[in-house]
Order: sequence, then C-alpha cells, then structure tokens
Amino acid sequence: MQYKRTEIADGIGFSSVIDEKFKTCSLTVRFITKLDKATAAANSLAISQLSAVNSRYGTIAAMNEKLSSLYGASLSSSVSKRGDVQLLAVGASWITDKYTIGGENISREMLEILRDCIFSPRIENGEFDAETFAITKKDLLDRIEAEINNKRGYAIAKASEIAYKGEPAANSCYGTDETASPVTSAQAFEAYRKLLETACAEIYFVAPEDDKSVAEMFAESFGALDRKPQPVTYRTPSPAKSEPETASEEYNVRQAKMVMTFKTSSEDKEALKMMSLIFGETPVSKLFMNVREKLSLCYYCACRTYFPKGALMVDSGVERDNIDKAREEILRQLDDMKNGSFTDSDIEAAVLAVTNGLTAIGDTPSSYAGWYFECFCNDELITPQQQAERYRAVTRDRIIEAAKSLSLDSIYLMLNKEAE
Amino acid sequence: MNREMIKSKKTDDTCVHVKHSSGLDIYVTEMKGFSSVEALFGTKYGSINTMFRQKGDADYTRVPEGIAHFLEHKLFENEDCDVFELYAKTGASGNAFTSFDKTCYIFSCTKDNYKESLKILLDFVQKPYFTQQTVDKEQGIIGQEIQMTNDNPYWRVFFNMLRCMYHEHPVKIDIAGTKESIAQIDADLLYKCYHTFYNLNNMALSIAGDISADDVLAICDEYLNDCEDKGLETIFPVEPDSIVQSEFREIQPVGTSIFNIGYKCRACDGEERLRKATAAAVAASLITDASSEMYQRLLKEGTINSSFDYEIFTGDGYFCVIFSGESEDSVKVRDSIAAETKRLINEGIPEKDFQRIKKSAYGALIRELNNVEAVANNVINSHMDGVGPFDAIEVLSELTNPDVAEFMKNELIKDRLVMSVVEKEAE
Repeated sequence: MQYKRTEIADGIGFSSVIDEKFKTCSLTVRFITKLDKATAAANSLAISQLSAVNSRYGTIAAMNEKLSSLYGASLSSSVSKRGDVQLLAVGASWITDKYTIGGENISREMLEILRDCIFSPRIENGEFDAETFAITKKDLLDRIEAEINNKRGYAIAKASEIAYKGEPAANSCYGTDETASPVTSAQAFEAYRKLLETACAEIYFVAPEDDKSVAEMFAESFGALDRKPQPVTYRTPSPAKSEPETASEEYNVRQAKMVMTFKTSSEDKEALKMMSLIFGETPVSKLFMNVREKLSLCYYCACRTYFPKGALMVDSGVERDNIDKAREEILRQLDDMKNGSFTDSDIEAAVLAVTNGLTAIGDTPSSYAGWYFECFCNDELITPQQQAERYRAVTRDRIIEAAKSLSLDSIYLMLNKEAE
Repeated sequence: MNREMIKSKKTDDTCVHVKHSSGLDIYVTEMKGFSSVEALFGTKYGSINTMFRQKGDADYTRVPEGIAHFLEHKLFENEDCDVFELYAKTGASGNAFTSFDKTCYIFSCTKDNYKESLKILLDFVQKPYFTQQTVDKEQGIIGQEIQMTNDNPYWRVFFNMLRCMYHEHPVKIDIAGTKESIAQIDADLLYKCYHTFYNLNNMALSIAGDISADDVLAICDEYLNDCEDKGLETIFPVEPDSIVQSEFREIQPVGTSIFNIGYKCRACDGEERLRKATAAAVAASLITDASSEMYQRLLKEGTINSSFDYEIFTGDGYFCVIFSGESEDSVKVRDSIAAETKRLINEGIPEKDFQRIKKSAYGALIRELNNVEAVANNVINSHMDGVGPFDAIEVLSELTNPDVAEFMKNELIKDRLVMSVVEKEAE
C-alpha cells in the first residue's frame, strides 16, 4: 500500500491510497466547515444537489441511466458531524476497468462526472435547477422526519442536544424541519458557492493503481477558484453541567431508552478509550456482563467515547420500570472502574479488541479514507499499528484516572406511555 | 475427504471446498493482501424450521416459535465459561445471527490470530450446555430484544407484509418468537433441537482472508467430531399460491409512513431458485429504475423519495419480490408498480435497458468480491442455497431478456400483490 497526501490548493488536501488488492476505485471529496444551525440545512441541500445531477447529466433520470451503464457506479453524498464540525462529502465508486466485460474505460468517465458534479453543477438562472432541488429537498425533509423511525439513533441524537446545549454539536448535521423548510434553491446555491470559497476539503482517492491525473484534475479545478479557506477547530471539549440534567419524553413505544452522557476534561485519549472498552464496548465489558448478562435488564447496554467533545455516552434499551435499577447498576460499574476493580486480563482483552479493529483498517476503501481523515483532524500521521502500540502502553493507573475524570452530565429518557 | 478448487471463470477468484470426513462442508477463500479474517460456522436451521424428524422417528416434532434464535443465544455459554471470554483472549470479535433458514456463528479477527479463534469457534458450537437456570435468565434478555424489534417500524412493516402473503408457511412468524412462545422453551427442548440441527452433515464453515487452506483444514481435522448423518427431514405446511389479504395497515410513531409492497411468487430450490432470483432482481430493478418514466413521475409529484428500493426475498418454501420506501400515498405506489409491471409484460423490455441493468448487477457482484466479510457470507449463503460460490455471476451472465420477461409474466401476478403500511400517528 502507498499513501501520499499533498496540498493541491489553499486548504485542499489530496490523498491517494494505492492498494493493488482492490477491484474498485473510490474517490471522495469531503468539505469541512463549522457546524452552524443557520447554515447546516442549506449546506446539506447543496451537497445532495451536487450528487444528484450535473451540467452534463442534468436530470436524475439521465444521471441514473449513465451510472447504471457504467456497471452500477455509485455517486452519493453524505452529511455528518465530528464535534462542532460539519462534514459534507460527495463521493463516487466504480469497478476498475479490468473487470468490465467489454474492457470499457469507465474510470475516466467517472472522474469527469464527479468533477462536473462539484465544479459544474446544473444551474438555471443563477441557482440550482428548481425541479431537482424540490426532489432533494423533499428527500432531506423526509430524512429529518424519519429520524424517529430508528429509536436508538433518535435517543442518542436527543441526548446530544441536551449534553451539548448551546454548542454547535447540539445541532443536527442535516438541519431541522424548521431550518430546512424555508431554504430556497438560490440559498442552497449560495451555500454551495460559499463552501467552494471558504470550506477546507480533504480528497481521498483509493484505487489499485495510481493515476496522477486525478490530483492534477482537482488541483486545476480548485486552483481556478478565489479561495479564502476558514480553518475549523477539530476538538472542542464540552464542559460538564454543574448539576446533571435529566430530560424525558413519552412516545408510543414498547421499550424505553436511556442515554447517559458523561463528560471529561482528560486529554489522555488512549486511556479514555481503554477505559471505555473495559467499561462497556465489548461483550466481556462490565456493562454487558452485569447489566445485560447478570441482571437481564437490557438487550443492549453499551458505551462509546466522543473525544472531540470530551464525552462518553452509555445507551441502553430497558423496561420503563427497570430504568432506576439500570441507572444504578451503570453508575456502580463506573465506580468500580474508578476504584480500579478490573483485572490485567480485562486490560489485555481491551488491547486485543481495539487492535483487532485497527488491523482491519485497509480492508475496505472507506476504512482507509476514514483513518487518514482522523489523522488529518488530529494533525498527526500515524499507522494503525502505531496507534495499537499506544493503547498497549496505557497503564492501569491511567485507566483509573480516565474513569475518575468522568462526571455525569445529563440523562435522556425515551419513555413508553404508561397504561391509563 | 474430497478437496476441490472452485474457480470463477469471470474473475479468476478461487475458493477451496472440502467435504470433510466429519460430514462438514468447508469453504476456504484465500484473499491475499487483506488483514482481517472472517469466519462463519452455520447450520441450516432458522426460524422456519419448526417441524422436523430424523431417520427412525415415527412422527414429526413441532417446537415453539423462536427456538432457533434462543438456541443461538444459549450456545455462547459453555459449561465453565462464556464464549466471549475465550474470544477476548484472541481479540476476535465474535457474534451470531439467526435468520429464517440459517443460524451462523461468526468471528472476525486479524490474520495473525485466526487459528486460535477458529479453534474456539469449532469447539464451542460443538459443545452445548443448557440448564434451566441459564434458560430462565435468557428469557429476560430476549424479551427485551423482542420489545426492541417490535419498536422497529421497518421490522413491523416487513412481517405484516409476510402475514398478508403466507397462510401457513412459518416465514410469517417473528424470528425471535414472542414472549409467550419463548416461555415454553426449556433445556430439554434446546438439546433436542441442537442434536437434530447441529449435526455437521447439516452445517458448513466458510472462512475468508489472507489465510492458508491447509492450516484451516489441519485445525478442522483436530477439532471436528465425526457425525453420523441422521437423515434430517424438515417439512413445511402446504402453502397455496394465493395470498391471505391484500392490505394491512398499522399506526406507529414514525416520522414518515413506510410501505412494503410485495408479489408472492412460487417457491423453488437450488439452481432453479438462483436463476429465478436473478431474473427477479433484474425485473425489480427495471420497475424501480430511477430513469424510468414511472419512477420520475412518482418522484416529481412527491409520492416517493429516494428510499424507493426493492429486495428479492427467498428461502425454503418462500419467494417474493418486495418494493419498499416512504410515502404518504402508498396506494398510488402500489397501483403504479402493478401498472408498470403490466406495461413491461405487454410492451416487452427494451434491450438497451435490459443490458444496462444487467451490467449494473454485474458491477454489484464484483464489488462484493472486494470485501472479506461479504465473500465469507456469500460463500456460506450459496452453500445453504445449494449452489456454488461463484454461480451467481455465471447465472447473471447467461441471463437473457426473454428470461426476465417470462419471470414477470409467470410470477408478477396482480392477484398476488400485497401491501403493508406503517402509518404515522395523526398529529
């Protein structure tokens, strides 16, 4: 595997990952901007417009017909958040020319399609064309509405709103019904124009063979723009509330959900991750073995760390009547972590589990892109193997300190309505 | 022990297949350059296998709904420890799933420690240990799992659709069963099901990654216990071609109303099923094709959004073509699907569209070969379906426009079209 990153324009990084084992090529352009309630929806709409049509394939029908003729090549957009930052990606993936039946050169076509999507979108009268915009806007509004369909994800999103109240990370990366509904095609186009001018971007090309023309193509296109990139802050720890806050809502559901958010000011990323693994990330963790296996309270009760915000969340699905019991047990297990009630075997198991995950990086194109983007955000280029070594070096004392640094910030409860 | 090398004529990918002396079918896919290893040890035993007998049994045994899934949970407990504790020593990520027609035990790990993980997998699946106490404990956990899936509107809309289609076939029952059905499960019943279905002659192992077939087989030789083929017979009630009811609606706390609209088709097995499913996938792709007039009309008027998609759902005794998505006017979606199906049958499929959709399907199969997890899964699924690991790509390349037209004419019948909707609550 060969990895190389070059700055091809002001605030624009181009990374190529060449790994001969792949049968596909993938190319992703990830715009990075501040997550702001006022612009999140317009940015989301702009990015989804870019992956729907371009000046050459000007309707969804025409674009789809072209992509399916290129062996089902994919063109997609995604919106996500990392801490207080909004990430807006447009990506394409296709099988390499070698695997086409007729030896077609689909790589060149896909590169041009993606380039045109970003730099030559379909515009009518100085804004995105109305028909496609109406379709992508309905898609976004439906997506926002449908968040409740996934109860576990919805509960975590609601918990984030409470935990990060007043901070950008409290906002949805897509925007809300209220902020997305009024956005016009002209406003979305302005958001697109502003992204090209001010957002930083990281581009990832993952393929079995190098193709220098890809970087050149983007260097030329971005180089032609008058850019004033605005840097973002990738890590903005969230302060813990002076008193833990509890919020609850009732829904017509059968199972209640409880999400507990803890905050930390610890800078010891590796120790926090090790603590989280032992506490509740694996099937031998304290939460799994006790809250689920011993007390049979939950089907899932797990934790995860959000280092960019200095937070750790524990989420569980539990009977309403058992919420107090589950909360007490979760806090008891955290106290055990703080008191050092875990074994060397627990530490070794955590190292092995996290190493297992790190070793798999590089087995899919998206995992390469994800890893190198994290390295970029952390301003440090290391290999997954080096990261694994850092976990191995974490001592018991550091894990205890990490656990002690956590304080309860807030609890979100999604409750089933009680029988009347 | 018969060892064969299976090779894809289209991509040159290979897979080693061994019919092991223990009775187990073993598939090893060597994938150079990948760091992770994926293994599945599975039995042809899922939620639909509720009636069975073995050679010498006079009568069929009927078991409670959800028992295959319950058994999957319980197999993770050995007599002396929890299986996850063993995996914790290798770092492997262990898991399992129960579907309609199979149960698989999985691990993914690094290529450096797959041998130890494989030993754990082969060992624990062959060593059941159930007591009434551990069975009782699991009732609470699975009870919560059932509650969780009942709150999942995508799960609800799917099962409601199956219940509209199937009169008798157990595919209509929930994989995890119900709180009431799992309450009937005890340790003796679990042992009975285990000894019936976890016979190596009814099982397969698929492992993929940068590994050596010789090393895998040496571990299998050491860890597999010889099994006598006991002539397992599973039976299903006679299922008529007709549907139960054409429509079912349920209200749930969802943000957008969702639908599953499906054609009930006649079931078949083995290669015939693969050919039929391939034709069905191309037919459904044509119906949901984003460049079609129907799709564009529904999209532009806001009846559907980009979630509109299809799935071919098949197994022992069931076969259906399902269209899913979000809409506040699912009746219009259903009627449009029926009309588009009729139009394609009457007017024929344009050859250009057929070739385009076929290329797209081919691309999707190539993509799957890029991924260790997908390869290991596809190989075991193919075995369980009675076809070879690379047959899908061969069958697709042989598929013709008339094959698809014939499938549509014979199977996409309006009288066998059902619709299930989960509607949002009134505001």
